[in-house]
Amino acid sequence: MIRPGALLWIGASVIVAIALFLIVYRVKGLEKELTLLNQEAAAHEEAIHVLKAEWSFLNRPDRLAELASRHLGLQPVAAAQLTAGQSLDQPSTPTVPVSSGERLQGMLQRITDGGER
Amino acid sequence: MTDLATRTWKRLLHEPPPLSVDPEQRLSEARARRPIEMARTRLLIAGAVFALCFVVLAGRLLEIGILKEGNARSDGGARLTSDAAPGRVDIVDRNGVLLATNLPTVSLYADQETVLSAEGAADRLLTVLPRYSREDLVERITGKARHALIERNLTPDQAFQINQLGLPGFSFERTERRVYLQGPLFSHVLGYTDVDNHGLSGIEAGLDATLRTTEPESGRPFTVSLDMRVQHALTEELNHSIEEFSAIGGAGVVIDANTGEVLALVSLPSFDPNGRRKSDDDVEFNRVTKGIYELGSTFKAFTVAMALDYGVVDMNDGYDASHPIKIARYTIRDDHPQNRWLNVPEIFMHSSNIGAAKMALDVGGERQREFLERLGLLNAYQLELPEVGAPAVPKPWREINTMTIAFGHGLSITPLHLANGIATLVNGGVLRRPTFVKQPEGATISGDQVISPATSEKMRRLLRLVVTEGTGQKAAAPGYLVGGKTGTAEKAAVGGYQRKSLISTFVGAFPMQNPRYVVLAMIDEPKGNRSSFGFATAGWTAAPVVGRVISRIAPLLGIEPVDEDADPIHRELDVKEVSQGARLASF
Repeated sequence: MIRPGALLWIGASVIVAIALFLIVYRVKGLEKELTLLNQEAAAHEEAIHVLKAEWSFLNRPDRLAELASRHLGLQPVAAAQLTAGQSLDQPSTPTVPVSSGERLQGMLQRITDGGER
Repeated sequence: MTDLATRTWKRLLHEPPPLSVDPEQRLSEARARRPIEMARTRLLIAGAVFALCFVVLAGRLLEIGILKEGNARSDGGARLTSDAAPGRVDIVDRNGVLLATNLPTVSLYADQETVLSAEGAADRLLTVLPRYSREDLVERITGKARHALIERNLTPDQAFQINQLGLPGFSFERTERRVYLQGPLFSHVLGYTDVDNHGLSGIEAGLDATLRTTEPESGRPFTVSLDMRVQHALTEELNHSIEEFSAIGGAGVVIDANTGEVLALVSLPSFDPNGRRKSDDDVEFNRVTKGIYELGSTFKAFTVAMALDYGVVDMNDGYDASHPIKIARYTIRDDHPQNRWLNVPEIFMHSSNIGAAKMALDVGGERQREFLERLGLLNAYQLELPEVGAPAVPKPWREINTMTIAFGHGLSITPLHLANGIATLVNGGVLRRPTFVKQPEGATISGDQVISPATSEKMRRLLRLVVTEGTGQKAAAPGYLVGGKTGTAEKAAVGGYQRKSLISTFVGAFPMQNPRYVVLAMIDEPKGNRSSFGFATAGWTAAPVVGRVISRIAPLLGIEPVDEDADPIHRELDVKEVSQGARLASF
């Protein structure tokens, strides 16, 4: 005759065994997924690395110069074309001396007025 | 526990001592009980062992599951680091542009034991690797090694095609290959590596240990002080001039006057470092750091600085330059003779050999030697490159040497020495070591104060004068206040100098009221042409290179152009001892 205690233990061990198997399979599945993801990450990393190298290669100054001369017609900046920001927007004959803060405010005012119109 | 022990133990515990049993019967009873007892004992031992195992397993489970400290390894985790170990970090320029990197490639190997027919395989491989001869391939396949290397660094295309051939016994192996993305642009300064990625020349060799030991996984590349844009501008302008004047080569360098950082270093002709094997080829010679030259009149900057710094002369002192100096069997004469008394700025501006020689004599050979040594011009630099040239210093240092060195003959230095020396003259008198490693932004690099700031200030005016009024007018880059000095030297040959083989140099700094960068251009054996009225001197060949380079790089380097005719600029840079505007100079 089987005692109830033994029955309980057998039942428990069966449950634990099943649970263990399920967990093992799940872990295996997850590990496979992890491996795949890691491989994918490594592949992407390598691809990024190669693309960076290619980007640098394609940005060789002599190549850019050739492309620019073919398509853009740009010229190097001459010193005469450069000027400091503060030398701009100086009214040639300032009628009323105003502080720069006030002037800026006035300018903003004009801009917003213009925008509303 | 042995049987005997167990039995004794049991008997003592459970069995009352048999009192009056027939000995015969007792014996048979014991004999019958023995197997049962043995079985029970074994069961007990086995049980104990299993219990122990389960305790261990349970403990491990707890460790992994609850404490999470067990080094639980999964197949997946190990994968990431196992491959992809480049072993050499990338090199980027000061703005982060990738200059050198490792790219994955595959190499083809053959396993002799499994290759069916070397000849057959060779025939088919030839369709993909046409640069080999058939015999060559057969020899490689049947070579001594069982695992024979057939070809390194296949292109992805080639690897695919070989795979398509389906040859048994051939396998691919992943390797890393050093690639120089800018091609020949940085050939001399970066150098290159051998097939095993060990540096052979340039920075690759000089900093080999650093480049190899830095963790590549950290993803942090090695940043050099070079600037690709400046390097390109300098290369292009030098090439232009070499072509224009049919020269045999050229060299150029741009250094930061306040940190000693080298922004560009060009030696021409250059070569493509990709896939290069070490050779004694001339093109690999680094003219800037290894080549030593008598750099001619550019040295007068040091002579004048020396005389000013020792207080031997002042700006309005001068010398009679109307008659050539005869010493021993030599005659020192001027290339641009004025035949009159000249003051110091005029001597410098007209590049008077006579004046410079007399000035150096007044300073004295001993002090001249000491001064040049202080400026670091008599010793080889400690650089991050292995290609370092040591100056050729005359021994003994006689009076004639004092006079010739005053105008740049009889002492050979590298162009880098010259550029760094000029940087010291104009930056307030602080000597710093040239470096190829990017220094932290805005950091103050310490150096030795070798000349007084007052002398440095006068040198700025004098160098500027050469460009506004003197021999270096073609180096002008409007708005950027270029100052500098020309130098045309005849190449030394056996028993004297070759009049037709010139080294034309221009070394300049800008912007002169607060110099930031020093630019040097050297043209090796230029020939005069129609555009230069037959002249091959530095004022016609090297000076325009510097002018063009500066007008190209100054906007890139964030130098604000100024109005060169503004009063403050004149106050800061004019030399009052010379009447401005009067064209006195010839080229």
